[in-house]
Amino acid sequence: MSVISLVALALLVMVAGGFYMGRTRAIKQVAGRSSELHSLPNYYGYYVALWTGFPALLLLAAYGLFGAASTHSWTVAELRAQAHEMSAQFEGDLAANSEYVQLESTLESLELTVNGLREELARLRRANDADRDPHLIQLRLEEQRSSRALLALAGTSIEDYRTGVATGMLVTARETGVAASIRAGFFLTHSDIVRAELFMSDARKIARGETPSELLPELEIVASRLTDHQNTLRNSVGLLVLALAAIALLWTRSQIQPQFRARNNVERLTTVLLIAASILSIITTIGIVLSMLFESMRFFSIIPIQDFLFGLHWSPQIAIREDQLGQSGAFGAIPLFAGTAMITLIAMLVAVPIGLFSAIYLSEYAAPKFRTIAKPVLEVLAGVPTVVFGFFALLTVGPAIRALFTSLGFESAVTQSALSAGLVMGVMIIPFISSLSDDVINAVPQSLRDGSYAMGATRSETVVHVVIPAALPGIFGAVLLAISRAIGETMIVVMAAGQGANLTANPLESVTTITVQIVALLTGDLEFEGPKTLSAFALGLTLFAVTLLMNVIALRVVQKYREKYD
Amino acid sequence: MTTAQAQATLYHDIPEARDVKVAIAGVDVHYGDKQALFDVSMQIPDRSVTAFIGPSGCGKSTFLRCVNRMNDTIDGAVVTGSLKIDGTEINDKTIDPVVLRASVGMVFQKPNPFPKSIYDNVAYGPKIHGLAATREELDGIVEQSLVKAGLWGEVSDRLTDPGTSLSGGQQQRLVIARAIAVNPEVILMDEPCSALDPIATAKVEELIDELRENYCIIMVTHSMAQAARVSQMTAFFHLGNLVEYGPTEEIFTNPRERRTQDYITGRFG
Ligand SMILES: Nc1ncnc2c1ncn2[C@@H]1O[C@H](COP(=O)(O)OP(=O)(O)OP(=O)(O)O)[C@@H](O)[C@H]1O
Ligand SMILES: [Mg+2]
Repeated sequence: MSVISLVALALLVMVAGGFYMGRTRAIKQVAGRSSELHSLPNYYGYYVALWTGFPALLLLAAYGLFGAASTHSWTVAELRAQAHEMSAQFEGDLAANSEYVQLESTLESLELTVNGLREELARLRRANDADRDPHLIQLRLEEQRSSRALLALAGTSIEDYRTGVATGMLVTARETGVAASIRAGFFLTHSDIVRAELFMSDARKIARGETPSELLPELEIVASRLTDHQNTLRNSVGLLVLALAAIALLWTRSQIQPQFRARNNVERLTTVLLIAASILSIITTIGIVLSMLFESMRFFSIIPIQDFLFGLHWSPQIAIREDQLGQSGAFGAIPLFAGTAMITLIAMLVAVPIGLFSAIYLSEYAAPKFRTIAKPVLEVLAGVPTVVFGFFALLTVGPAIRALFTSLGFESAVTQSALSAGLVMGVMIIPFISSLSDDVINAVPQSLRDGSYAMGATRSETVVHVVIPAALPGIFGAVLLAISRAIGETMIVVMAAGQGANLTANPLESVTTITVQIVALLTGDLEFEGPKTLSAFALGLTLFAVTLLMNVIALRVVQKYREKYD
Repeated sequence: MTTAQAQATLYHDIPEARDVKVAIAGVDVHYGDKQALFDVSMQIPDRSVTAFIGPSGCGKSTFLRCVNRMNDTIDGAVVTGSLKIDGTEINDKTIDPVVLRASVGMVFQKPNPFPKSIYDNVAYGPKIHGLAATREELDGIVEQSLVKAGLWGEVSDRLTDPGTSLSGGQQQRLVIARAIAVNPEVILMDEPCSALDPIATAKVEELIDELRENYCIIMVTHSMAQAARVSQMTAFFHLGNLVEYGPTEEIFTNPRERRTQDYITGRFG
């Protein structure tokens, strides 16, 4: 059993023990007459147990979240420090060597001489013909040539000297067995982020006992460092957790007196617990948004934001190979926005009437018995995984549409078209709209219907003139929510709409959407730092902004509507 | 038949000089297995206000809904017996309740203006029944109805505002205007003032008193004082039975039934 599970188990025992101890101590203090206690005995138990468990659990959770990352950065920092120390030592050794210092100062004075000569020569050559002294020029030229030869010689010997010292150090390092880790440190200091990350991931693989992509002595040394640090961190965290729990247990237990307001304290603790949970989810969301924002900024520093938002041409693929001709990548997202809008529009044309009409039928016309059966059946549609809709679109609807339109004379019809993706997405969204509209229609007060019937209106007159207008804001909200769902929908369009970033108004052509492109950009061969990958974040941010806006409007509208009838 | 019912049926003669508008004979109402009204018979005069009183759950609203067949909209409600308006049987398959309701208006306990403008609320009935051929005619109907409902002065300059923007008392007069816009013969009112403050109540009562000139008004009320103030005839219901029915003065000053006496004097209810 791993150390951490042992710690968790011990913590569990402590929590249970804390509950028991808190409870019994409270009862004992009033000699069993529980009515003399401020709170029920259990609250004393809860109080101790919560304090024992909660902070320790937080620590444990923090370890779970950040443990691996901190082991990683600890190891990297250590290796880098080692490499840094080595180079510092190297420079220090050289500086302490009088022979080397001598060489360096010679080099410096030679450089000065050469520079001086060059300036003088230039001055001499600029002089007027009358003042010109060809003899002097000749002399300086020769002087310059010899100084240059000396300078080159000095440079080589300094290089040789440095190499000699370095070799000596390396030999020592090899003898003391630190050569590999120093090489790793240098590598981690000087290589780019991506290669460093690949290197570390290989090291982690070795540490876990898996096979890495290559086996280098550096990797092994890093892996063993990783393992060491991981163990150290884990053991100290484990100890800390248990110590924290024990201290909390003893402290809270000592607080218990008959007049101690355990019930109120438990209430407060519970509140804190609940707040912590909601804050966690909010922070997660903010974190995601921020990281998206950050990466998008990087993208926009390469591709200007107006080129992204208003550009008419999208072809990010080319960035893979740099030797391709005349390809700088085009990141104009308008074709994607247009594709998304067209598919969403088609989906809404299908889903809004059908969903709305079925909602009206279910809530206004259907017998209660039929309703109790039909409503869940319709909602089952919402439970069908979108990938199923996707292959339905790809294998059934797409070919059917192509066959239909080619027979009508549209030769250009293709299997993967905006139309088939939109139609199937519409079907997917029907239950969404019908269920939400059904709710809002049901929320229209019966008194309005009665009023209309009492005026001698028929059922459909009542629906058209009274129920729908009353439910309209809610229906509008439902449609907005459905649109934001459609815009964000990925699987169906990936499978059914194709990949071509065509800027077209023809629904029979294949188009692509924001989500499809995000998938395409982030799967397959990745060039990590390039605008291609980063553009996915910009697309994601756009998507997020649009759907957020829609949802906010929808929720506000629905809320307003609720207020009106509450 | 119990003695009470016998007496009630005996005592449904109408004061002279008033025509019978609604004649009810042997009406039973069931909600599923539960019987809510037992063999009710009475004759309701035209151009007067008839008040239904009685403790909660005794079947007043149920009975009121028989007159415009609103019970049809309730699942499981079954009405049997005879209901005649001007001698025409209305509790009959061949009568279209939608048509019937155009001549029997109804005002509910809680004001329920439609989510439309004040104008469109009043124009609702005339529009669906095609009562106005031109816009001018419709304008005329709306204005007349609002005038009759005593609301014109208050809303004439804001006809396009939503009906829900009015005060509760104004809303109730708006729905009365809506009801009279289709020129009904009978107006049913189910506790029309119970959601209103005393001043709004006084206005609505005044309105009811004026409308009496032209319509047959049947209203349910929980206020003895209101029944005494505005009605000419009063019917007392108890546990689904019509206990006593007669001119309001007699019911209030000289009830024949002990139960009526007890209820009016507040000894139960
Ligand atoms: N829709 C319905 N379904 C089933 N039973 C009903 C329904 N409406 C009324 N009832 C029953 O019929 C009886 C009479 O109800 P009704 O609403 O007519 O009473 P009421 O005299 O109007 O009472 P209140 O003064 O409280 O309005 C009650 O027992 C009630 O429970
Ligand atoms: Mg009632």
